[in-house]
Amino acid sequence: MIQDMRLIELKGVCKQFGDTEVLHDVDLYIRKCEFITLLGPSGCGKTTLLRIIGGFEMPSSGEVLFEGKDMTGIPPYKRRINTVFQKYALFNHLNVYDNIAFGLNLKTPEQLGVTTKKEMKAEIGRRVNRMLKLVKMEGYEKRSIDALSGGQQQRIAIARALVNEPEVLLLDEPLGALDLKLRKEMQLELKAMQQQLGITFIYVTHDQEEALTMSDTIAVMNGGRIQQIGDPKGIYDEPKNAFVADFIGESNIIPGVMLEDDLVRISDTDFQCVDEGFGRNEPVDVVIRPEDIMLVGEDVGMLTGVVESVIFKGVHYEMMIVSGDYKWKVQSTTMQPAGTRVGMTIVPYNIHIMHRAEMDHIPYNERVTPAQSEEARP
Amino acid sequence: MVKKTHMENIRKSTRVFRVVWMTLVLIFLYAPILVMIALSFNASVSRSQWTGFTFNWYVQLFHDPTILGALKTTLEVAVIATVVSTVIGTLGAIGMHSMNTGMANALINVSYLPMTTPDIVTGVSLMLMFIFAHVPLGKWTMIMAHIAFDIPYVLFSVMPKLRQMNPNLYEAALDLGCHPIKALYKVIVPEIMPGIFTGALLAFTMSLDDFVISYFTSSDMYPNLSRIVYSSTKLGVKPTMYALSTLMFGTILVLLVLINRRTELENL
Repeated sequence: MIQDMRLIELKGVCKQFGDTEVLHDVDLYIRKCEFITLLGPSGCGKTTLLRIIGGFEMPSSGEVLFEGKDMTGIPPYKRRINTVFQKYALFNHLNVYDNIAFGLNLKTPEQLGVTTKKEMKAEIGRRVNRMLKLVKMEGYEKRSIDALSGGQQQRIAIARALVNEPEVLLLDEPLGALDLKLRKEMQLELKAMQQQLGITFIYVTHDQEEALTMSDTIAVMNGGRIQQIGDPKGIYDEPKNAFVADFIGESNIIPGVMLEDDLVRISDTDFQCVDEGFGRNEPVDVVIRPEDIMLVGEDVGMLTGVVESVIFKGVHYEMMIVSGDYKWKVQSTTMQPAGTRVGMTIVPYNIHIMHRAEMDHIPYNERVTPAQSEEARP
Repeated sequence: MVKKTHMENIRKSTRVFRVVWMTLVLIFLYAPILVMIALSFNASVSRSQWTGFTFNWYVQLFHDPTILGALKTTLEVAVIATVVSTVIGTLGAIGMHSMNTGMANALINVSYLPMTTPDIVTGVSLMLMFIFAHVPLGKWTMIMAHIAFDIPYVLFSVMPKLRQMNPNLYEAALDLGCHPIKALYKVIVPEIMPGIFTGALLAFTMSLDDFVISYFTSSDMYPNLSRIVYSSTKLGVKPTMYALSTLMFGTILVLLVLINRRTELENL
């Protein structure tokens, strides 16, 4: 269970490498027992943020608090945090057992709750075996690291970190090198482990599906800033800006104008929505998920258009529909062949209005060339 | 059909040419050494007459106190120089590896220089430095000189291993509770051990192999094997020298084959 206690708190954390600013004024708190994911494209600063929490990088400014105490200058070996590295970073000169026991061997007998060296050896053996069981690698103690597959190495890396009973486990794209099926399995296993052990997990990934599957909380990052923090459903349903909408799931992003509360104009058509508090005639970005657009008869649709292409995606069909000035992506379980004229309706609460993003390039839907829009007209 | 046999003929003649050419090159390279090896087994002192096979010169070799003394000096110098240069070279490589690229590149270039400088220049300049500093030339100056020219070999065997190493390994050690010094010998050193070993082997070989630098940095009071061979040529070469040179050639050959095999295995 997530406790309402701020275990780690970052305040105004900035990081520069030379002239490039990797993190810009990041504020973030992480609660005890939370599974939080830092999600973003490569170069967004998520790994740097993780490395600052782990103590491998120092912030250029700002502070990192652990249970309310500043831990900015504390080296990694004195933090109650362990890390699962991207490429596992297992010790090739040691076998599986000695890899997992590495952290425990550095402790004193007292720290392990025993008095003699001999008891310590037995205690380490017990703890390593418990971990091997947890990651389903019993019987592999004597194996060398080279003899393991990628998935097995991953499990050993997790065991090596968890055996030290850290307060926080940092995971830097730990499943990136695994194939899709194994990755899905490990996602569920990691989530189960986290709940079973009651340890705070801070997870870094660029895979939005992975983030949605595992996390209690997602922090979407781009350009060294946190764009939005929230639970997976909140982030998916109510993206704060065009970047988040585009990065999480698929979406139609179209420029619009907010005429008044609950009324937005897109492509010369006025739509009822459920968003209030925008300025009169304020330019906004409108997000509509492809699965939220319903195909109806041509004469009853709010918008009409022509199906340009159809792709079969397994569960549904994905159609590109030319309507007004834009191409719309629509997902539906019923197929309309290319060239068909269709109507589209969208219910008000599926229209999400966002303030214009501060981005160099807003990922709007593709605009229709004049020739195509001619075709779309009756 | 005619064309095909024509092509085959060309292929055949190039093959013959290749074999002949290789043989000529090898003869050119190894004939002198083969002559020397043959003469070391010649019963006669003569350099032009084969009078029978003997191990006599080898037996004499191991009864000659001067040569045994020189062997001891050579090995002593090689072992001490290898150990010291391996430690310095390894630590140096680790230090350079963690520096920023510009600084590290400058240092690497500076370290390359002694490998390409002619031995005679290194030898003379070291001799001048020892004389300038009033250090009497002897075994220890020779050891210092050997350490100096061995270090780059260790450096350049260890550096590639560090570059191949997963950069997170050191951090993983810190993460699991290692103090930086402990992380160095518990994780980094074992990880780059193959490179360190190759470096040590190379340093040892270079040390055994060296004549010019040793000649300038030591004195006749502490002769090593190559110095003995050299001074014996002034008095007229005895066949024991052939035997000694054959043994030295054999040892270096074995060491070099060993080093080559190791580097091949590491690059797999």
